[in-house]
Amino acid sequence: MDQKKPEYLRPALIAGAVAGVLSGLPFVSSGNCLCCLWIVGGAVLAVNLLAKHTAGVLTSGDGAIVGAFTGIVAAVVDTLMSIPLRPFNMELANRVMRKVSEFGYDMPSNLDGYLDGGAGFTSPGFFLLGLFLTAAVFTVVGVLGGIIGVSILAKKKGRPTPPTAPPSAPEVPSDAA
Amino acid sequence: MSRPGISRTVLAVYLLTAAGTALWLSAIFLAPALAARGSAGAARLLYKAFSPICHQIPGRCLTFHGHPLAVCGRCLGIYAGFAAGLVLYPFIRGFSKLKLPSVRVFLPLTLPLALDGAAGVLGIWKSPMGARFATGVVWGALLPFFFVTGLADLLLTRRKRAAARGLEKRRANDVE
Repeated sequence: MDQKKPEYLRPALIAGAVAGVLSGLPFVSSGNCLCCLWIVGGAVLAVNLLAKHTAGVLTSGDGAIVGAFTGIVAAVVDTLMSIPLRPFNMELANRVMRKVSEFGYDMPSNLDGYLDGGAGFTSPGFFLLGLFLTAAVFTVVGVLGGIIGVSILAKKKGRPTPPTAPPSAPEVPSDAA
Repeated sequence: MSRPGISRTVLAVYLLTAAGTALWLSAIFLAPALAARGSAGAARLLYKAFSPICHQIPGRCLTFHGHPLAVCGRCLGIYAGFAAGLVLYPFIRGFSKLKLPSVRVFLPLTLPLALDGAAGVLGIWKSPMGARFATGVVWGALLPFFFVTGLADLLLTRRKRAAARGLEKRRANDVE
């Protein structure tokens, strides 16, 4: 096994930014409702980028680390994007609620307060708490995505090459003497 | 792949993952229980914790004490499947080897959920709660085989790299 640590940060920053933007955009973010598609996909992308810039074969542990970093970056980007988009997201959530009640589903009377995407969390403390919760969840999902990425991309990368013998000393012609 | 000390590491990761899963599932049910008891702040916090990864549309969530769970039926299926996969893990994989599931296993188990989910998002069909839950369980049951293996491998790799660095340092000191 290659004992040198791969460079995790760059792929995680790139893939995490992509996953965070997709997770933060209205409508597009609903992809995360499908098995956390953007976070898992971002982690797989990070593994792909990491594999391209790593000489040795990646282990599932490498996938876990780069996936975790990707999840953290995605959480930060997603949370930052949610600040300017908050009014739009609130309106969207209300529209969904109205649509759902039109279909005749029973809605608890005091539901609005619970399922509004944390509308009540406007203070900096709650903002940080929201960031922490999102980061924790995205990290776990990112770890999973990174490991899945390694299992999917491992074949493409190929098996580890056996260690080559050190270069032998140049042969001295026997008739030189 | 079989390395010395592997069983203890896998077992430790397995137990921690089992504890985390129990906590995760408890939180899903705790949110509506708190809402029913009138603890609005704590309930909101738990609903908020799951909101980045689930739409939480009430009509698509099972209810508990008259309130929707913190995740939808499909997500609950995934987490329940994850717990079921953890129960099966020692019998299928054991604690003495590290091997990720192959793509040939991953794809067929992912396909039902992916097709059902994509068709739902695109408005092609609307599957019943039972189908969403079942496809979630199938996919979720596969995930511990990635998660536990990956985290155990991470710990073992770090240990091995640290040992190699220590050896290099010692060699360098010997040369000096």
